[in-house]
Amino acid sequence: MIDATVVELSRTQFAATALYHYLFVPLTLGLSFLLAAMETVYVTTGKPIYKAMAQFWGKLFMINFALGVATGLTMEFQFGTNWSFYSSFVGDIFGAPLAIEGLMAFFMESTFVGLMVFGWERLSKGQHLAVTWLVALGSNLSALWILVANSFMQDPQGAHFNPVTLRMELTSFTQLIFSPDAQSKFVHTSIAGYVTGAIFVAGISAWYLLKGRHVELAKRSFRMAALYGVLATVGVITLGDALGFVAAQAQPTKLAAMEGLWKSEPAPMPFNLIAFPDQSLQRNEGAVQVPYLLSLLVTHSLDGTVAGIDVLEQQAARKVENGIPAVLALKTLSKDPHDAAALAQFKAHEQDLGYGFLVQRYAPDLERVTAQQVQQAARDSIPPVAPVFWSFRLMVACGLLMLAYFVMAVLYTLRNQVQHQRWFLRIAVWMIPVPFLANELGWLTAELGRQPWTVFGVLPTWMSASTHSVGYMVFSLGGFVLLYSCFIAVEMALMVRAIRRGPDAPDRGDARPGPRPGIAPRPVYAAAHDQHPEG
Amino acid sequence: MEIYALLQMTWWLLLGVLLSGLAVMVGMDMGVGTILRYVGRSDLERRVALNIIGPHWDGNQVWFILGGGAVFAAFPLIYATAFSGFYVVMLLLLWTMIVRPLGFEYRSKIASPAWRNVWDWSLFVSGAVPMVVFGAAFGNLFHGAPFHFEWNLTSVYTGSFLALFNPFAILCGLLSLSLSAMMGALTVMNGAEGALHQRARGLAQVAALAGVALFAIGGVWTHALPGYRLVSGPGAGVAQTPLQQAVATLPGAWQSNFIAQPILWLVPLLGFVGMLGALLAARAGRSHLGWWLGALAWIGVIGTAGVSLFPFLLPSSSDPSVSLTVWNSSSSQLTLLWMLGFALVFVPLILWYTSWAFYVMRGKVKAEQIAHDEHAY
Amino acid sequence: MKTFLYFVLFMFLAAVVILLAAMLGDLGAWYFAWLIGTAMIVLVAAAGAALLDTQEDLAATQPGPAAARDA
Repeated sequence: MIDATVVELSRTQFAATALYHYLFVPLTLGLSFLLAAMETVYVTTGKPIYKAMAQFWGKLFMINFALGVATGLTMEFQFGTNWSFYSSFVGDIFGAPLAIEGLMAFFMESTFVGLMVFGWERLSKGQHLAVTWLVALGSNLSALWILVANSFMQDPQGAHFNPVTLRMELTSFTQLIFSPDAQSKFVHTSIAGYVTGAIFVAGISAWYLLKGRHVELAKRSFRMAALYGVLATVGVITLGDALGFVAAQAQPTKLAAMEGLWKSEPAPMPFNLIAFPDQSLQRNEGAVQVPYLLSLLVTHSLDGTVAGIDVLEQQAARKVENGIPAVLALKTLSKDPHDAAALAQFKAHEQDLGYGFLVQRYAPDLERVTAQQVQQAARDSIPPVAPVFWSFRLMVACGLLMLAYFVMAVLYTLRNQVQHQRWFLRIAVWMIPVPFLANELGWLTAELGRQPWTVFGVLPTWMSASTHSVGYMVFSLGGFVLLYSCFIAVEMALMVRAIRRGPDAPDRGDARPGPRPGIAPRPVYAAAHDQHPEG
Repeated sequence: MEIYALLQMTWWLLLGVLLSGLAVMVGMDMGVGTILRYVGRSDLERRVALNIIGPHWDGNQVWFILGGGAVFAAFPLIYATAFSGFYVVMLLLLWTMIVRPLGFEYRSKIASPAWRNVWDWSLFVSGAVPMVVFGAAFGNLFHGAPFHFEWNLTSVYTGSFLALFNPFAILCGLLSLSLSAMMGALTVMNGAEGALHQRARGLAQVAALAGVALFAIGGVWTHALPGYRLVSGPGAGVAQTPLQQAVATLPGAWQSNFIAQPILWLVPLLGFVGMLGALLAARAGRSHLGWWLGALAWIGVIGTAGVSLFPFLLPSSSDPSVSLTVWNSSSSQLTLLWMLGFALVFVPLILWYTSWAFYVMRGKVKAEQIAHDEHAY
Repeated sequence: MKTFLYFVLFMFLAAVVILLAAMLGDLGAWYFAWLIGTAMIVLVAAAGAALLDTQEDLAATQPGPAAARDA
């Protein structure tokens, strides 16, 4: 039995490091394709300003990329270090996408990012453009495989439990990667990255326009970012809807928490625009409702319904009772994998094995399980409603805000007037944090809504963590906080510095005619324009 | 069943390939970080050294990530048990490693000598410490780690973290550090000229010599270490947990594979030949040849560890019968098969485009060029 | 002859792409949508930049109405 404090600390550490990592990832996903777009214009039109754009935004890209890579390193190993039981229990399925991510995507991204930075003089225009596209493709494929892994935690497709090896094993690789959750989650997340990149570029360009600096470059960057962003935002919202639709089937408890749906209601169900969910009383305070909307949103029809928490808890209690014999049978099978009676008992109850684990938290040996313990476990099967409800709503609010912003931005930039709308430019600068906030809220909605499971319906969080001591966990959490705080300070300082200096100075000799690839002097690691004062 | 055993063997070999890739490619960059302050006496020289690996360190580092991912996918029980058991050491490894990308990217963004010194030292730490930990981890595999399993395969580690730094593990850590420093020095030789080249040349020879000595001592030492032997179990290619086998410890067991198959002595020989060859090549100034011989040395050294331990991957010192082997810690047949498919397509592809990247960036980094280029690193 | 060979090559590539797209569309419609959508988003952004260049060229040659619009 793992110490509950250790589990909580492990969760805190994972959440902190994942949320931190996720500050940098979306910008990489989105900015990389935006760089590819800029360079595509450069190669097709031959105008040097687009090369300057690709190089300047590329410099900011790299500052962000370094920290994304650094913090990603720890994520890859944290499943093993802190979620040992999780890793051995589902590693047969979960490990594969992570390894494929390295093989297929991260190698491509990281190898070509070196050429993207150092290769301007050594590669032909077309080769360099291809390299930039491959970096963008690589980073997004990377996200694909990570999200395939993540969606297995949300909706475990293509796997079954093997009572001989006492773990989940792969049954269908195609089901794993083409699960509806994986698909909609990947597209939603990847495109949310595009939005992040677009707001970042548009915001900084707006700042230059306000200052009257680098106007030609900023106008063009803003135009590209606005168009890129408006389409991406529409895509994010569409896929967000698809994801909700998928969750309604795969994770009814998450959906109920997102909507604060304590009681099942007949169709058409109203939507809680604002409410203050109270977990202990199982009801909402001060709810402001929009009639019909919930049925329309989650079932795409007016006469559809979804289960409320009251019904879901009753279902969970039945599953807990059905799961207990499965766990007991497994204990016998662990000693003797060939015990036929135990195997038969397991087969009869295996569907609810995870719910058997859920009640083990209260009755470790499962010999005598009281009705109260079953009820406790059933109540545990509901995620914390208020945080899920609010992070979801705030994320949606951010999304709608960004949509309105981008529509406005497109209107102004298409008339080539944005440089004159100072109030709008100021707003554009202040919009920069919004997508980052929305990304984090999206992570919280998805992962808090998955509780109390690490793998939905299969493996409870309480038994997934490594059996560390509290002391170890305090030490590691403290270390991460300290190290990561230093990192963000350095990163922000360098980012602001690079933005203030701006794109003026030609980078790596782009004023010179490009020599033939292969015979150029070996380029050196480009830095900001160290000794140059602003200007 | 035959296919499953074959897949398990294949993945054991592939794991060796990936770990060798990690050691060669990441080791060389970390070696450059380790020796940076010694071979580069001025800021300019250090910048030359950094720019030699500048375009490649990022791609090379993926070998480390891929190594972790492959262990997870192919041997999940190893991933779960080893990384949680060696918790503090893993943190040491990760915390030092994550400073490295920032060292490369951020060091020369600001001209202040204090700023650059801090990053030079952090490049040293993030080069040397992970390589010592990497080697020490292998050393501890020979000892076994104190862990056992509960009925549902929850692993419980009962050892202290200081015990991981025992003399044999430290020896292995130093061996890995020497090899990495040797590869780093050869890499600097490949891309640098003048005094920097000469210092690296000297250092490569010293490091190679240290590697030969440490490898020899380690070889003799393993004779004295108690080894593990699989007495009974479900065997290869059978779905199983580690709870169904018996393991004995006896002295000299780590030599039993070599005694059973004398041809395997070629593996440690490859390690010696590689290191001595790299030494001679460095002396002769033929650093490219030396680099390739150094890579062979890594393969020989890691191969020696793998062959000695086989079929064990992580023996348990506190409960030997739950020791993890290739047979009881691997993924299912279907997962191994899919992963093999992906590896067969993508590993050659990776080697191809990595070679292309090195080809594009070939040649020497000129000190004068950096000196006259104010935008240089 | 060279043109013809190119034609054959591209026809072959088109056939392969159609086959792969049909399979992907069948198994993972959203993945397919991502591919198409990303390409479209990038190209629209690129076209927007080219359009801006054209707008500015026009404004330079026809100062009257463009300047009025700009103000």
